[in-house]
Amino acid sequence: MSLLTFAQWVQSTPLFTAIRESWYVYPAIMSSHLAGISLFGGMVFIVDLRLLGLAMRKRPIADVVNQLRRLKWVGFAIVATCGILMLGSKAEEYYYNAFFRAKMAVLALILVHALLFRRSVYAKAAEFDRSGTVPGLAKLAASLSLVLWTCMVICGRGIGYIEPPLDKLHARVIEHLHQRAQSADRIVYLDTRTN
Amino acid sequence: MFLELVYDPTTNPLNNNEWSFPLLEIIHIAAFTLSIGTIAIVDFGLLGWGKRDAAKLLKETSTLTLLGLVIMLISGPLIFSSDPNMYLRNSSFRFKMVALLVAIIYNYTIHRKVVLSGATPGVNKAVGIFSLALWVSVVFGGLFIAFV
Repeated sequence: MSLLTFAQWVQSTPLFTAIRESWYVYPAIMSSHLAGISLFGGMVFIVDLRLLGLAMRKRPIADVVNQLRRLKWVGFAIVATCGILMLGSKAEEYYYNAFFRAKMAVLALILVHALLFRRSVYAKAAEFDRSGTVPGLAKLAASLSLVLWTCMVICGRGIGYIEPPLDKLHARVIEHLHQRAQSADRIVYLDTRTN
Repeated sequence: MFLELVYDPTTNPLNNNEWSFPLLEIIHIAAFTLSIGTIAIVDFGLLGWGKRDAAKLLKETSTLTLLGLVIMLISGPLIFSSDPNMYLRNSSFRFKMVALLVAIIYNYTIHRKVVLSGATPGVNKAVGIFSLALWVSVVFGGLFIAFV
């Protein structure tokens, strides 16, 4: 099974078909996705800006990082759930969408970022408070995080600007299958002649 | 609609350039993420998460909230200018404008007063939940513009 046929199968399941066919459910999920981004994306902003010394400077870094950690995870779960529901209901369109592919690549980089810097930066917030300085590595991690999340927003908005011409794509697939069937007929015909 | 603008959107440079509109939208999204996100931090403080010091949180985040609001209120009208008559007729847009107006006024009056002077835990929670609900409804109103 190719990725494309898998995508077509996913969106044909009853749940995703229902989401796609209702006029308000899909936009409501998208609104929740965006509301989640605004609530919890702001927390990502704040944590990174605090590490860079640009926000909440009077408050210990450990306070900002640790108190927002769980909320950020809750937010990420909400945003990702809405994202998966949108993806599933229009999986074939997303398959053809270059911005969606770029967004998934950025998401992968964000996961790598989390794995790389979780121990070396985010778990050491209290140390930075004690020493009174934020090491270059932490500032690098914060800057990268801001850049990556901004790229996520850019790619996400970009998805809406590409509407893959599914009718044309389907027509091309049907034509291709038709040609294959015809050439298969000819082979059968030749075979019968030699017999 | 009772208000119809005599204005030709095709003369607007935003409509004669492929990249300016999506760029404005991205700036708009990033800006309201900053303002609503910082307001939400205060609201979660009111709801009793973390150290429950909403007043201190408000003082620490109010500059960023204002910065986000200002960028949002510049990029928003520019987006609006691309097709004013369509927006004015759009029911979701009209809902959004009312919700936004209420949310901004609420944020700088009742919300601010309760956060800074403190109230009973019940009132704090109600004020925080109402604030979150208002801002989420603004986001919903904005997104549904493209679907109604």
